Amino acid sequence: MNTLAWWLIRAQFRSCRVATLLSMLAIALGVALGYAIHLINDAALTDFSRAMKTVQGEPDAVIAARDSAGSVALSSLEEIARDPAVLVVAAVIETRVRIGHWPAPVRLIGLDVFTAGVVMPGLLPRQAEPAPTGSILEGGVYASPALLARLGLPVNAALTLTRGDQQWSTSIAGDLPAAGPDELLLVADIAWVQEHFGPADAVSEARLRLAPDADPASWRARLAQRLPAGLLLRVADDDSARAANLSRAYRVNLNVLALVALLTGAFLVFATQLTAVAQRSTQFALLGVLGLTPARRLLQVLLEALAIGLPGALLGLGLGYGLAFAFTRLLGGDLGGGYFPGSAPIIVPQATSALGFLFLGCIASLAGALYPAWLNRRQALVQALNSGFAQMPRAGRNARRQLLLPIGLALTAGALLQLPPLFELPLAGYAAIALVLVIGISAAPLLTQQLFGWVATRSLLPAPQQIALQNVAQAPLMAQVAASGLIVSFALTASMVIMVSSFRVAVDRWLDHVLPAPLYLRSKATPLPQDLLAALARTDTPFAHVERTAHALLTLDPQRPGVGLLVRELERSNPGERLPFSGPVIAPPPEMAVVWISEAMHEIYRLSPGQTIHLPLLGREVEVFVGGVWRDYARQFGAVAISRDDYRRLGGDFRPTDLALWPLPGQEAAAAEWLRPYTARHGLELAESAEIRQLSLSIFDKSFAVTHALEAAAMLIGVFGLAVTLAASVWLRARELATLGALGFDRRMLSRSVMLEGALIAAVGLLIGSICGTAIGAVLTHVVNPQAFHWHMPLDIPWLALLAGVASTLATAIFASHYAARQATRLPVAQVLASTQ
Amino acid sequence: MRRRSFLATPLLLPALASSASARQAVAYPPVTRGHHLVFPRDHGAHPEFRTEWWYVTGALDTPQQDIGFQLTFFRSRPGTAENLHSPIAARQIVFAHAALSLPGDRLRHSERAARANLGARFSSLDCDVGIGAWRMFRQARGADEELRLQMQSPQFSWELTLSPTQALLLQGDQGYSPKGHAPGLASYYVSWPQLQVAGTLVYAGRQQMVSGRAWFDHEWSTALLGEGAVGWDWLGINLADGGALMAFRMRDAVGATLYAHAAWRDAGGRLRQFAPDSVRFTPLRGWSSPRSGATYPVQIEISFGEQSVRTLPLLDDQELAASRPTPVVYWEGLVRIEGSLSGRGYLEMTGYAERLRVAGHSARLPAAG
Repeated sequence: MNTLAWWLIRAQFRSCRVATLLSMLAIALGVALGYAIHLINDAALTDFSRAMKTVQGEPDAVIAARDSAGSVALSSLEEIARDPAVLVVAAVIETRVRIGHWPAPVRLIGLDVFTAGVVMPGLLPRQAEPAPTGSILEGGVYASPALLARLGLPVNAALTLTRGDQQWSTSIAGDLPAAGPDELLLVADIAWVQEHFGPADAVSEARLRLAPDADPASWRARLAQRLPAGLLLRVADDDSARAANLSRAYRVNLNVLALVALLTGAFLVFATQLTAVAQRSTQFALLGVLGLTPARRLLQVLLEALAIGLPGALLGLGLGYGLAFAFTRLLGGDLGGGYFPGSAPIIVPQATSALGFLFLGCIASLAGALYPAWLNRRQALVQALNSGFAQMPRAGRNARRQLLLPIGLALTAGALLQLPPLFELPLAGYAAIALVLVIGISAAPLLTQQLFGWVATRSLLPAPQQIALQNVAQAPLMAQVAASGLIVSFALTASMVIMVSSFRVAVDRWLDHVLPAPLYLRSKATPLPQDLLAALARTDTPFAHVERTAHALLTLDPQRPGVGLLVRELERSNPGERLPFSGPVIAPPPEMAVVWISEAMHEIYRLSPGQTIHLPLLGREVEVFVGGVWRDYARQFGAVAISRDDYRRLGGDFRPTDLALWPLPGQEAAAAEWLRPYTARHGLELAESAEIRQLSLSIFDKSFAVTHALEAAAMLIGVFGLAVTLAASVWLRARELATLGALGFDRRMLSRSVMLEGALIAAVGLLIGSICGTAIGAVLTHVVNPQAFHWHMPLDIPWLALLAGVASTLATAIFASHYAARQATRLPVAQVLASTQ
Repeated sequence: MRRRSFLATPLLLPALASSASARQAVAYPPVTRGHHLVFPRDHGAHPEFRTEWWYVTGALDTPQQDIGFQLTFFRSRPGTAENLHSPIAARQIVFAHAALSLPGDRLRHSERAARANLGARFSSLDCDVGIGAWRMFRQARGADEELRLQMQSPQFSWELTLSPTQALLLQGDQGYSPKGHAPGLASYYVSWPQLQVAGTLVYAGRQQMVSGRAWFDHEWSTALLGEGAVGWDWLGINLADGGALMAFRMRDAVGATLYAHAAWRDAGGRLRQFAPDSVRFTPLRGWSSPRSGATYPVQIEISFGEQSVRTLPLLDDQELAASRPTPVVYWEGLVRIEGSLSGRGYLEMTGYAERLRVAGHSARLPAAG
């Protein structure tokens, strides 16, 4: 029996080489993409947490300010240190400084060598011999090997560190032997950092080691009650959760793309196996008469599917590894998404995940073969022996009943779209997309039957065209098979195009609103120097108007990335002039500070306009009024804007980091010239709004580059699928075509008939695909994007691009069916007719 | 006269010592004869001096056994970061060390280190010094006073109250205690013998009430070490009759005595001091450490004037390897003495494993424990 199974598989592979290979490739592509994304993200996360471990060490808990501009007071630290459950409190002051005229700011970590060894062994300095200073306590700085190499400075070299207006002239007293190979770090004694850069009487963070016999959970609960409102207690779990949260939505979306490829693969297996079952119906019937049980017939089809899926998945694993390797080298661990900057992680494959993806590939292949296998089991042997494959399961259904399935599915999809995100992911949205595809495919036979049947009965076309029409109308299952791959691939491609285009249009408009000034200037992560701000306040500047902004970060939830805090020179009464509000703006009570939150913050933290909320600002809980929700594509994890006046009223020190500048008319060149000495001296970044705009859009395009490659692959698979199915159907209908030949159809007529058939099926596929694609595109823009990324945007369908896609796909499909037509014209007419007698 | 006095010098951090010349000289005040000590003010810290320590050693009587315990807070002003304004500048560094000697077992110990205002704190008004949850402080209790000791470590913890039964013992000349023949080699040195101990001890997960006798030392100085000294032997004994005995000697590289001193306050409160030439240390039996290979004279005969006593260690292996501030191996533990006087107290012997390291070449600081 096994010999028979093996023999049948081999025979099948030989007779449908192209189709089989194509199915295999599609499965491989799906597995490869999914596996590559998994590997890359895994590596990026590992890399990210490793880098974090060097810098932060592995403390049992971290106490830090919720406001990035805030700090942990020494008095709070002393109180925490006295807790018997606390073994060591390692205090840290962390800031960013510029080294000399080096443009990029570098992380400077001030630590206390008496405690750092326990929690952050990776940051311990090594003294150079001979050293310019006696020890770390006497004011040298220690650079990571990567930084020393990048700076090209020797140990002992003098250097000046700058942060805003503050400066520290010191020298390199040694290195950091345990720092990672990519880490750009400076380490110095905490007191020296505090002396030069602050914060006064406070530190940035306290990293704790707890006593081994302390119960961390109850200790945390106890401490959380005593902790001042401006402080936050973070544990190791929070850090890994935050790292995973950073890229989760992005990663899941990429994985869905991989699933799309896998799904296309499954449809190809479906098409291949269905035609294979049809082609070999006589063979199977004969074997059945000879004693092959129906169960074995079912199993045989599944076995063949596995023979496609397994090598496909294996190939996919290899391909995925290669892809992951190449992508991390080219784009970094976040595939250009910008979540884990500056990392080129090392890919380490793991057996469990590899097996998982292997399994997934096989499952996709088996799922595609289920229906053909079931059909093969149900074939009536005698009939099959006599006249070949019968489409019996479809017979006897009326159109009204056939409509029930799509309508039911559509209702279900509609209901799914009303659901909120699950686990903060648009899972219901994805399910709805799958349903839309199923509706499209199940609607295909109905449409072909009704549409072409109606046309065929009412028109008087030349014989070849009439035959093609009749064929499509009366063999709806075959048409469904041929069209299904096209429907799926075109729908998904169209939906991606629609989504990306809507998004791009929305980002473009948004940039108009958020970049009103011609010139922008920013300091990287440090406050702007006072001399510049003072100079700008004078009247003789070439600027008509200057707006200042201060950026900071607030941590509302230790398991989530921080929320951006924007202190801006806004009118309390008219914030809409600068912020792109997406809803109504509510006037705040006069005595209360007002904030305007981004859509992401509105959704992640469930805050709404009109609410009064407590914000951890300035080291305490501040009561503020939510005045409105604005659109923000820049900060996925939320942002909150407050006017400078309110911020000052709350006791905040407004220290601008960004400037928007409006030069006087005609003085644009003079304005840039005026700023040049400041940008050179302080390492500031000056950009025209057009540049920023272009850069933003190019980053946008880069981050969606991966999707274009996928779209192309999906379309290719869809078109090939059509060609292969057509070819198979030609083979199936050899007798009919031979008869036509005998009746006087010449080669051109036969060829035209088959090509027209292909064109008709492609047209149906593309029509359904476009409709489904538009529907899916709408789901992506209105449900998936808001739920996964909190990005809201209007639907914007790029009709021209879509039509071009339809036209080119149709042309390709007709060209591809030429391959099938050629087979039809090469049929040995006499032989075929003779053998089927 | 404790080992830690070495550590209190600029040798504190190996790298500090290696380039001491690069640093500005710090003007430490000298220790002078005739300075009048005032209490409780002089129980507090003297941060202008280079080194200072508060040191409690004692014996606990539990139903099962005698247990030796020791808690030291050690303050150092290494001369670093003197010009910084930052409150957390490393001008004053505090080390703490606790040890427990259990018969039939090895010595257990635990240590902590921190700079002032960043984990460590001390008062200049009265005895109150601490790092995190570790603390040693004096407090008034009605008309009386007491010392309180608190420490926690993964291995053992205690909370002890020490009640004085006798007056303070000002060592040397009213607290001025010479450490060598050279002028200026001296410390201010205050002892408080025969403290009554009560409190709780947690060891091996078991909490027990304990009582016993302890000895408190408070010493501060700027220059303690004479030329050629490699180590010393020191002894502080609560005598069974209520008296108190303190003796020490400084040794050179060949083991010869460079300087020695003994002070004996008898049960009647009469204090007798013995000049270097009338104090003699004679090793009787050595014990070799399997870990360091050093041989310590765990039984020593000490004679001063007409008196002569021999030490009998509670257990031979009371060798200690401290990692902070620099790695150093020495012997410090509970002993009984027999002879013309008898009692219990602590014996400390340093410089036997190797010459006490005064400079190193690694800037890697020892990790906290």
